[in-house]
Amino acid sequence: MLEVEGLEVAYGDLQVVWGVSFEVPKDSIVAILGPNGAGKTTTLLALMGLLPVKAGSADFKGESLVGLPTHKMVDRGVVMIPEERAAFSTLTVAENLELGAYTPRARAGRGETMEEVYQIFPRLAERRKQSAGTLSGGERQMLAIGKALMALPELLILDEPSLGLAPIIVENIFGVIRDIRDRGVSVLMVEQHLEMTLEVADYAYILEMGSIATQGTGPELEADARVQEAYLSL
Amino acid sequence: MSQLVLQSIVSGVLLGGMYGLVALGLALAFGVLKVLNVAHGELLMLGGYASFFAFTIWGLDPFVSLPLVFIVMFGFGVLLYLGLFRFVTRTEIHTRIKNSLLVSFGLVLVLQALAVRFFTADERTISTVYSLEAFTIGTVRIPMVRLAGLVVAIVAALALEWVLSRTRFGKALRATSEDWTRAALTGIDVRRVYLVAFAISAALAAIAGSMVSLGYSVSPSIGLGWTLKALIVVVLAGLGSMRGIVVAGVFLGLVESLASVWIGGQYREVAALVLFLIILSFRPHGFFGRAHA
Repeated sequence: MLEVEGLEVAYGDLQVVWGVSFEVPKDSIVAILGPNGAGKTTTLLALMGLLPVKAGSADFKGESLVGLPTHKMVDRGVVMIPEERAAFSTLTVAENLELGAYTPRARAGRGETMEEVYQIFPRLAERRKQSAGTLSGGERQMLAIGKALMALPELLILDEPSLGLAPIIVENIFGVIRDIRDRGVSVLMVEQHLEMTLEVADYAYILEMGSIATQGTGPELEADARVQEAYLSL
Repeated sequence: MSQLVLQSIVSGVLLGGMYGLVALGLALAFGVLKVLNVAHGELLMLGGYASFFAFTIWGLDPFVSLPLVFIVMFGFGVLLYLGLFRFVTRTEIHTRIKNSLLVSFGLVLVLQALAVRFFTADERTISTVYSLEAFTIGTVRIPMVRLAGLVVAIVAALALEWVLSRTRFGKALRATSEDWTRAALTGIDVRRVYLVAFAISAALAAIAGSMVSLGYSVSPSIGLGWTLKALIVVVLAGLGSMRGIVVAGVFLGLVESLASVWIGGQYREVAALVLFLIILSFRPHGFFGRAHA
């Protein structure tokens, strides 16, 4: 579904991502794991057209994403939830969801999609008239995911969905991510939380210093001595 | 209260309505694009001339030409965005203010020079048959054309609020003003939002200009003075409420007007600025601003 080949990204002269390749097959959850500063978020931002791609390719369903404006990607079904506070705090919960279906493709069926989102997250339905700025951390993450679902994603990209959340809420959110995958949405997530992520991911890549250090399925990586060492030494 | 005080309250409120109207567009461009367009007053000046010439050449009443001026200056705003401000919005959010100051100061000089060249430096006022009409309450005179300026300001603020809170595009505007990156990730074409917001801002300045040329006067050099008032009003009100901007404008007009009666005409702006500093030290985000805005 998504194929990234030899991606290089730089902030001016400072190159952060050095030839990263990975793929997200249909109906699967793929994780990119790595410590702070490994280039995870940079990779995602470049993928979404928010940072210039220096070299490499990124194809979604066989078509190149490089050079495409961000809003067009959303219309094609590539939807990213940025790190922290992805919803707009000055808008209400309902307004945020409505805005989530901004693209022409998603607009038509937005009533039904909103009902589905409220079914997945009944908490959001209770708070629909509340401004998003007043939500708790967990609720904000639910709203961020709900808003992304409103865009009818085929590929959902999440940047550290667990950040700043209590473990029990993270488990809840990861459960929802699995449900989303089961509804036929492919998922690419970036995380620091090794163990919890490997439980939900079908396949994972470990990113270190801007390149892929190793890759594999959850059990493979858990058995990998180098991964254990890298993460235990953190 | 003496007749003089009552009369200056009325003039202050009416002039303040104009301050508010000028500030609406400035606040919109600043809030959404994060650019500070100091040539906003020059757009007002152009709008004033547009109404003036529509009246003197074609005999169009300024209220009839108002929608035309809005549309034409909306178009001019589109051109200005595509030709100049588009490049400013490509930079990091924090460098936009500096860059926009440079670009728009240049624009101030160009537009002023062109106005002197083509419109001459004369002061112009639209004098219609109703220009001198006024309501009188007791001994207080309320000039009709100036009252119209206040009404236009209130209508513009309410219309803008309606667009921002009720329409899809308005919500996209609010989202973009909160965080353009997240807006783009939501599927919003941020460049288009910028274009339209800037064009509306220019058109609002022009509408204010029409009212200025009707109730007051226009000349090529009036721009910066209005921009300065608008800046004070925007800071005073804070971003986040359009009607708050008109209220802050009226407040500034009132303070200036009363200061010139009670303290002396030469102190009207000093008094207003001192009060401005006092208010900001207690409410740094303005009367109606939200802390994060």
